[in-house]
Amino acid sequence: MSSPSFASTRLAVLSLALVSLSAFADINVGVSVSATGPAASLGIPEKNTIALLPKTIGGQKVNYIVLDDATDTTSAVKNMRKLVAEDKVDVVIGSTTAPNSLAMTDIAAESETPLISLAGSAIIVEPVDAKRHWVFKTAQNDAHMATAIVEHMLNNKVQTVAFIGFADAYGEGWFKEFAKIAEARKIRIVASERFQRNDTSVTGQALKIIAAKPDAVLIGAAGTPAVLPQKTLKEKGFKGFVYQTHGVANSEFLRIGGKDVEGALLPVGPLVVAAQLPDSAPSKKVALDFITRYETAYGKGTVSAFGGHAWDAGLLLGAAIPQALKKAQPGTREFRSALRDALEGVKNLPAAHGVFNLNAQDHQGFDQRARVMARIEGGTWKLVK
Amino acid sequence: MDLQIALLLGQDGITNGAIYALLSLALVLVFTVTRVIFIPQGEFVAFGALTLASLQTGVLPGTLWLLIGLGAVAGLIDTVFALRDRQLQRIPRILGINLALPLALAGLLANIPLSSLGLPIQVLLTLAVVVPLGPLIYRLVFQPIAEASVLVLLIVAVSVHVTLTGLGLFFFGAEGSRTPSFTDASFEIGDAMIQGQTLLVVAASLTLIVALYLFFERTLWGKALRATAMNRTGARLMGISATMAGKLSFSVAALIGAFSGILISPITTIYYDSGFLIGLKGFVGAIVGGLGSYPLAAAGAVMVGLLESYSSFWASAFKEVIVFTLIIPVLVWRSLTTRHTEEEE
Amino acid sequence: MSASPRLQLSPAWVKALPLIGIALLAVAPLLLPEFTVTLLNYIGLYAIVAMGLVLLTGVGGLTSFGQAAFVGLGAYTTATLTTTYGVSPWLTLLVGLALTALVALALGFITLRLSGHYLPLGTIAWGISLYYLFGNVEFLGGHTGISGIPTLGVFGFELHSGREFFYLIWLAVLGVVVLTRNLLDSRSGRAIRALKGGSLMAEAMGVNTPRAKIVIFTVAALYACLSGWLYAHLQRFVNPTPFSLTQGIEYLFMAVIGGVAHVWGALLGAGLITILKQWLQDWLPQLLGQSGNFEIIFFGLMMIFILHRSRDGLWPILLRFVPQAPAAQRVTTVGQPLARRPVVERGQELLSVREATKRFGGLVANNQMSLDVRAGEVVALIGPNGAGKSTLFNGISGVDPLTSGEITFRGERVERLPSREIARRGMSRTFQHVRLLSGMSVLDNVAIGAHLRGDRGYLPAALHLERDEEARLLTEAAYQIERCGLAEHLNDAAGSLPLGKQRIVEIARALAADPCLLLLDEPAAGLRYFEKQALAELLRRLRDEGIGVLLVEHDMDFVMGLADRVVVMEFGEKLAEGLPEDVQRNPAVLEAYLGGVE
Repeated sequence: MSSPSFASTRLAVLSLALVSLSAFADINVGVSVSATGPAASLGIPEKNTIALLPKTIGGQKVNYIVLDDATDTTSAVKNMRKLVAEDKVDVVIGSTTAPNSLAMTDIAAESETPLISLAGSAIIVEPVDAKRHWVFKTAQNDAHMATAIVEHMLNNKVQTVAFIGFADAYGEGWFKEFAKIAEARKIRIVASERFQRNDTSVTGQALKIIAAKPDAVLIGAAGTPAVLPQKTLKEKGFKGFVYQTHGVANSEFLRIGGKDVEGALLPVGPLVVAAQLPDSAPSKKVALDFITRYETAYGKGTVSAFGGHAWDAGLLLGAAIPQALKKAQPGTREFRSALRDALEGVKNLPAAHGVFNLNAQDHQGFDQRARVMARIEGGTWKLVK
Repeated sequence: MDLQIALLLGQDGITNGAIYALLSLALVLVFTVTRVIFIPQGEFVAFGALTLASLQTGVLPGTLWLLIGLGAVAGLIDTVFALRDRQLQRIPRILGINLALPLALAGLLANIPLSSLGLPIQVLLTLAVVVPLGPLIYRLVFQPIAEASVLVLLIVAVSVHVTLTGLGLFFFGAEGSRTPSFTDASFEIGDAMIQGQTLLVVAASLTLIVALYLFFERTLWGKALRATAMNRTGARLMGISATMAGKLSFSVAALIGAFSGILISPITTIYYDSGFLIGLKGFVGAIVGGLGSYPLAAAGAVMVGLLESYSSFWASAFKEVIVFTLIIPVLVWRSLTTRHTEEEE
Repeated sequence: MSASPRLQLSPAWVKALPLIGIALLAVAPLLLPEFTVTLLNYIGLYAIVAMGLVLLTGVGGLTSFGQAAFVGLGAYTTATLTTTYGVSPWLTLLVGLALTALVALALGFITLRLSGHYLPLGTIAWGISLYYLFGNVEFLGGHTGISGIPTLGVFGFELHSGREFFYLIWLAVLGVVVLTRNLLDSRSGRAIRALKGGSLMAEAMGVNTPRAKIVIFTVAALYACLSGWLYAHLQRFVNPTPFSLTQGIEYLFMAVIGGVAHVWGALLGAGLITILKQWLQDWLPQLLGQSGNFEIIFFGLMMIFILHRSRDGLWPILLRFVPQAPAAQRVTTVGQPLARRPVVERGQELLSVREATKRFGGLVANNQMSLDVRAGEVVALIGPNGAGKSTLFNGISGVDPLTSGEITFRGERVERLPSREIARRGMSRTFQHVRLLSGMSVLDNVAIGAHLRGDRGYLPAALHLERDEEARLLTEAAYQIERCGLAEHLNDAAGSLPLGKQRIVEIARALAADPCLLLLDEPAAGLRYFEKQALAELLRRLRDEGIGVLLVEHDMDFVMGLADRVVVMEFGEKLAEGLPEDVQRNPAVLEAYLGGVE
């Protein structure tokens, strides 16, 4: 369902690429992701994806300056300052986690540099105020994903649910969003537990959850550590639905989880189940394209949802930079401002994780097309129809 | 909380406690023999688990390169010393142990189908890779400053921990690993299922504790270590070299660490940085024993396991706060009861 | 020192260095690129914390891995109060400092009781606890953190950019440097420095060591809190990660690498680690073609190397290029003489020990010992090695209390008092194993003895409001040194003297306390003939002034020529007592001594 405006955007990009004169300076894109530290399993695919982003946009050479913030807010801020002050970047992509992105927001506003975050929490871009004016984000809001879970729960007559999540920003963000939506739809949360990323046992939490007799359990954790709660629940005899979050959507999770995570339900971006989507799905083509490129570069089965967020950031830039180039020179304040305006004006841009429709109130821009429910079956992600 | 939950929590606490107990014994051993508060103990747990996991996927583990690297440095240093002291006859042995053995191990690992070997052989190979790291670290890091104060040794130990964690990330990546269960058996007691693997952990820990006891009581090396722990100077006069005792205690610590890692890796996912907190909890146990008493240390460690298990039931978000805050009264009690004489340094 | 002389700076330059430094700091933000200023800002923040560690660990000998938690306390206090309640940031600084002081006092009250290696383990424990607490408390923004922290305003001028903030941070750094240096160069500073060299001696000189420990612990925490407050307003966002144990370990690394015993070492360490980290993060992944925490591997190895090769860090190595500071401590202003204790009338009883018994487990070191010392007499305590003489000394001076028995000093029962209280009552002692702070000058060492004759505390010391008293204390110390014949060694490091002279320094230190009873443990050991004569002469003079002297000595000629009475001990019990000539003829004594020699 290729929309006309999408086609026209493409055409514009193409024609601009053909006719543009290289009178402009290079475009510098700063990147700060959490390639080490606790969020490394999210940050590494993001970092890998940056290497696959186009080297020219709108006929201009694009330089990517990639820094690692080690999942530490101080480093994230330091990186941001470095990118802005030293590398004079036109836009920054990052960071992987919500606290890091929030910490970078002030500098984005102060230096008037657009920032495209890859983290999930909606508070990074909501509400769009003077500071968030400069901040965009490509990852689905946790609320998008939580809504999908709640809908699936309602359809399956789940009335009570227990939550177990990371004792960190990820788990906290998910609990808040999920609790808000679930309670609005009259689903009762009967237990809320926390665990650490490298805990060796969650038996206590699992027993408490089972004792509360919920119809379903939501595990608010990212990456391979999310295996442990599900495994323990199963061992202790929990028979209800187990929901995971999109944070687990990488092949490592399946490798570590094995048969212990069979049957888990989770909302994912279209990217994760791209091949199973109907051809009419707007994201299918983009997602498959990304998957092919990523797996060509890094090996089969290596792609993860997080790389997709970085890819989508590249797509946003691909759409917005040509617009901004019409107005100003890269490396100038005017260009950054024009780029920001252009980002805010992106409409109907199909991406690996959904379709972007940004405006002055919504700096994320996805709708319900940005998530589908998947189930883990036979060691792989299966689209739930 | 009904009885069944209480029992299950108890079982979980004891399983973890058994691992902490093993580690606490190693910590007590290392401290009494060398006065090193062995913070990097936990890294051996992670290295053990992750090395086994990598062997099972048929990949040569990064720890092997670490072994070769450390061996080469140690071999080089010892050779230089031997040359300086004109003790040429020692050189073949030095090179043999530090260079040839690790290289031979690497050659062996590179040429056998790792992933299809039986589990016991994989475990043995893992131990062969990880355990020698212990004495090598002692040789390179602690032996040159063996006479330094406990505080300096502690800061060095923390530095080693930091270095090994960094190396762990480099070797094994950010994603963790879980190895297949040793046994898939499970038993039903009432409504509760008890996994064979958890029983195995407890049984293996107990076996190892008994083995350690026999080692200390019955073998010459074990007795030498005990003698050194009681009186360093005296032991030296009796012909037990402090260096030998140090290396031996680090070997035992590395063995216990790696073995613990291998034991729990089927139960939980182990990450490159998992070791630190596991090690610290073993530490709490060791501190309960005043870093001197083996039975008290083991009992303390089991207590930590239970505390952790019950607090994860009652207030999971505050589990670490509870466990680590409770060390403080223990520390106070310990330092009040330990006689503190003029040796303040 | 192997540095080539060509590289040495002239003294004039050394004097000018601080001024040059301040001038450079003043113009730095105007000249340097923005990001360098940013790095300097972080260096300043870290240096403030590391400075606390210099005081705590380097000088006081207390290792803490938990400083990051105090930084967090400062940062979170201001973050919460300014964002939720709109309180002025300057007010929140005060609130933060007060809160940190409270927490530090409470934590210190518990953990500073921990001896030796238990303390650092304790700091690891509460470092972890506080970190998780920050993350789990709802009104502190949880793990996600608090954003929108306001900028700081100075007289209506908002510090928006890093360049503007730079001045505030470095003003704070300089303030902390000055406070720390002042504090260390004072009566209280000597008390703090005495902690590392042996609390036993410090206590015997009247220093309240638990108090000194808790003070430096609190000061270090306050520094950390200040750094946290600045951090929050520079960053304008806080979450728990910068206050984790990892960061606490890094602070300690900074202090140790820079030079944990030197105020400037903190600055050097903070600068070095911050810059190296930045540099390594840029280059190592390119070199190794892969991302990872390589810098942490590098720092770990660097720490190990430094602790192997130069345990005092890098600052002392840098110092080799600078000529020896021109004896900074020379007494320049002569203060008024200190007030003296009223003299006790000669012949009056000073000390009376009755049935003193000391057991170590099953071993009886002193059994039912009794002896008296009167004002204006020299009593010698002799006996073979292991007879329990030093144990008795420790019992009398309160260093290691008796198991049972009575000790009366100037009419007051003192056997249950701590040694500093006994010292306050006019008893002063030396130690068999010399307990001097070997890196400190003879003058400073002796001035510790005069500790109880001053009363200005830590705060006036940090602000240098006690210079008058300080001059009087140093004058007194210099006088005692001269009196003991060590005037030419006034500014030498105590550790550089031969052992015999170090014993004399101990006597000078004991005298600086203006005692009425002097306990001397083998004062003549290691002295040459003429030195012994001089010592005997000094002791006679003291006796004539009305001071009572109790001394343990092996040199019989020395004892017999000096003592008014002699007490002989064997196996922890009194063997004989009397005039020197009587004791010398006592058959039991002869037996013990000949037996001892055999």
